[in-house]
Amino acid sequence: MGVGLFQYTVLSVLVFLLGALGLMIRRNVIVMFLCLELMLNGVNILFMALARCRGSVEGQVIVLFVMAVAAAEAAIGMAIITTFYRNRGGVGVDRADLMKW
Amino acid sequence: MVVNLWNLVFLFFALLVLLSAVGVVAIRHPVYSALSLLANLCITAVLYLVLMGAPFIAMIQVIVYAGAIMVFFLFVIMLMNLRKGEYEERIVLWRLLLGVGAAAVFAFQVFILAGEWRGFLPPGAHGFGAKDLSHLIFTRYILAFELVSVLIFVAALGAVALAKKKL
Repeated sequence: MGVGLFQYTVLSVLVFLLGALGLMIRRNVIVMFLCLELMLNGVNILFMALARCRGSVEGQVIVLFVMAVAAAEAAIGMAIITTFYRNRGGVGVDRADLMKW
Repeated sequence: MVVNLWNLVFLFFALLVLLSAVGVVAIRHPVYSALSLLANLCITAVLYLVLMGAPFIAMIQVIVYAGAIMVFFLFVIMLMNLRKGEYEERIVLWRLLLGVGAAAVFAFQVFILAGEWRGFLPPGAHGFGAKDLSHLIFTRYILAFELVSVLIFVAALGAVALAKKKL
């Protein structure tokens, strides 16, 4: 009885859920962004486990692409956060109320 | 009962991954939260290296994620130089309850699906390296690879355009 796909799925889903939970309960834009990265990491764990289980490389290729897209997303996101901080004077998402009715 | 050594290794690193993930969500100060995410990424890299036999992905994880992206995050956090009153936030109870409820529903659905997955993962460090990956990237996924490079270029341009004070 070794460690199977189910155990890795549990780990991956828990990491993903912790990220989603942080995204829902935290109000700091930077920490919400960090939680987004946490969710991406959880998905990566599942891709790696599936690649290992099936004995194919394709899951690892997809993980590489996820990392590249995460880098692009981090660049854009941090630029947006910097502009947000400059225009609104803080990093709380409650300050983004321009389109609130 | 024979305790498999690989199970203990997996359990140890999985607990560390979960602990650092809780740290990202629960720690108030953004810098410590980012450092906790850094720990999470590094431990995940160890998991890839030791248990899943993916040395190349483990290295890329440390260099790109833990090296480049997290340094970028920390740089921006320290550039803003938030004072104590600026990053503190109130955790409202009903928001916490709603979040935990939504997460529980999602976890329930996923575990119903994943209960059938009984695949076995051979533990150990022998797996696919950079050679196998590059063979696939430069043949079948060449279009996606080129598109990702264009995406990163456009993202760098967009970041400069967004963060500039006056265009």
